[in-house]
Amino acid sequence: STKMYSFSVVTLFCSSFVGSSLQSNMSAIASLTNESEDSSQKLDIPINPPAPCEVLKENDNIEQTVTEEMLDEVAEICLTETDTISLLDIPSSIFVTEDADDAGVIKEKNNQYAELCKNRIGNDNYLEESAQTFSGAPKDKHTQSDKIAKEDKGMIATTWDIYDSFFDQNKSPDNDKDDYTESSVGTSKDQEKSGEKSGSSSSYTVATGNSTWLILSESFRHSLFVMERIVVGKIFQPKLAAYRQLPILKGNVVMLIVEDPDSTAKPGTEEQSEEGEESASSPSLEYLWAFSCELTKGCNITSMAWNKINPNILAVAYGDFDLSNCKPSLICCWSLKNPMWPERVFHCDSWVTSLDFSAINPSQLAVGMYDGTLAIYDVQRQNNNARIADSSKCSERHLHPVWQVNWIKEETLFLREGGAEALISVSADGRITMWSLLNNGLGGRDLMELKSTQNTKKKRKAAGTKTKTECFLSVLTRGLCLDIHPTDSCIYLVGTSEGLIHKCSLSNSQNVLETYQKDLCPVNHIEWSPFSSDVFLSCSSDQIQLWKQDYFTPVFSFTSTQEVVKTIRWSPNWPTIFAAIIGRQLEIWDLDSNILAPTIVHHAAPGVKLMSLLFTTGTDCVFLGDSDGQITVYQLKNLSVGKGEKVKLKANK
Amino acid sequence: MAEVEETLKRIQGQKGVQGIIIVNSEGIPIKTTLDYPSTVQYAGLIQQLVMMARSTVREIDPQNDLTFLRVRSKKNEIMIAPDKDYFLIVIQNPSD
Repeated sequence: STKMYSFSVVTLFCSSFVGSSLQSNMSAIASLTNESEDSSQKLDIPINPPAPCEVLKENDNIEQTVTEEMLDEVAEICLTETDTISLLDIPSSIFVTEDADDAGVIKEKNNQYAELCKNRIGNDNYLEESAQTFSGAPKDKHTQSDKIAKEDKGMIATTWDIYDSFFDQNKSPDNDKDDYTESSVGTSKDQEKSGEKSGSSSSYTVATGNSTWLILSESFRHSLFVMERIVVGKIFQPKLAAYRQLPILKGNVVMLIVEDPDSTAKPGTEEQSEEGEESASSPSLEYLWAFSCELTKGCNITSMAWNKINPNILAVAYGDFDLSNCKPSLICCWSLKNPMWPERVFHCDSWVTSLDFSAINPSQLAVGMYDGTLAIYDVQRQNNNARIADSSKCSERHLHPVWQVNWIKEETLFLREGGAEALISVSADGRITMWSLLNNGLGGRDLMELKSTQNTKKKRKAAGTKTKTECFLSVLTRGLCLDIHPTDSCIYLVGTSEGLIHKCSLSNSQNVLETYQKDLCPVNHIEWSPFSSDVFLSCSSDQIQLWKQDYFTPVFSFTSTQEVVKTIRWSPNWPTIFAAIIGRQLEIWDLDSNILAPTIVHHAAPGVKLMSLLFTTGTDCVFLGDSDGQITVYQLKNLSVGKGEKVKLKANK
Repeated sequence: MAEVEETLKRIQGQKGVQGIIIVNSEGIPIKTTLDYPSTVQYAGLIQQLVMMARSTVREIDPQNDLTFLRVRSKKNEIMIAPDKDYFLIVIQNPSD
């Protein structure tokens, strides 16, 4: 039996087809399958493949059946060899023909080799030896291992992760915290249950044992501190914004309570300024907030001072106004960012009368006390180590109450004292003393003694004559207040209890430069005007006087009620405004609008006395300290101010 | 220690403060003033939020780090002070 192949296979191997030799080709194909490797040589086929159209015609004749006779016929096959087709010719590089250039070299090498071979036969250098290695018997050995556990882990390579790994590869890993966290995972579950049972209804602790280090850590304290400020700040946001003259957030905030019925301004309308312009609302004080806490409730406020560098820090001295026995008093440093709790609380043994912050070392607070001691506190330190120096061991200390302390820049004369700032204190023993901070405390030097003029007429005593009597106080008069000239720090003013105001100089310790006197009432407070350098204000028992530097009688006198004027302050923002505490009310005077009556009068709450007063630079607020331990912040509203830089006074003589 | 307790008490006593939670670095609340289920819920959710926020901040600049996070919503405000060892969470309702 023959196999039938389709002609498409045949066309690959055969070329031309002739119709009569169809059968012969068929058997040729049969032999082709058996001896396929010789097929390319045995077939007398030229290589050119036939045109496909010819093949298609031949395909039609396939339909004949193959008969036995056809198969028995003898077919003649002629096989001839084709010409040698040279497909590839690579000439040998080793076997070189005689004609080549370097044939001579190769011949030489060949000769050398032949000689070597000859010599090899009897030569000792060349020995033939055979070697045999033993092949060890193979042995089968079985081993078993634990299953290799595989785990898939995925990671996102974030920028910060790469950064962290890069920088941490130099540092050794901190293993302590790891131990803590591991152990806390184990034990916290046990303590959870105990915590639930033992906890109170309002708060309980979970995993206490291992977490106390966390709570005591520095960064936690800092976070708490910031958080407290933020929580309180949210409550006080509208008030603080009004203080700082910023727009106030509306909605979801505490609304402002307006105490004064005259005031028409509301917090939300800060931006709408037409209200202030159209309505002729009278000047008034608007209550903003009060600094108070339980620690200071009920204490008397004796003195307040702003920090010279950080405008948010206020130092307040609390003490009970009891002249018979000096009870210990408190000094608190408040920050505006937290009106609910002071940042620092210092305890003082004696009643504090005066405070002042230093301008050059802004954390140093000078404190003058009722028992005559002067102390310097460093407010950056915590409560117990804060007092860095005091004058209690100094020989020049005051034996009587220090009524005022001021820092003064000593740029001009006393450079040998060291440091650029010194303290001046005025005391009831009649001395004005300059102190400087030495290594072992304070060192003092008397600047001036306030000589009493009660026994003589109203003119300056001649220099050098000092009547010595047994009683110390009859020679010297009590100094009550002090103010240093704002621009020329060599000049200062002192007010005495006899009603005299002396203008003194740092360089002259024997004589006063000038004396001003109106009456015999003690001068409670003196202040230079921050805008005009030759104008100052003084207050005594019932009057406020405005003086000009070279005139020996006051230019203006202000009286409103017949009560004691406790203190006065110039406003640092407007040249014509000052405030005074007279009796039980706070009066704001505006010299531009009215010199006969105060512009704003604010009465203290019943049962509360007003004790202390401070203005702030940059904002229109006034701080009022009272005898209940509260410092209330008021905003001055609707004052028509701002004209002119200096107070121009006409001397009406 | 007493100072820290006092400060916590003061914060708790401020107007509108609904709760304070201190969570350690593993997400386990250490100290809380809310009930236990809420605490656990807050701790878990806020930890994820803080990680996302911190990742965002550091992705932009790896030398920067998250210091504080405030989430203000209609009903209250959640303030979070994160650190590598703990979170301090305070929930305050400002309109009370």
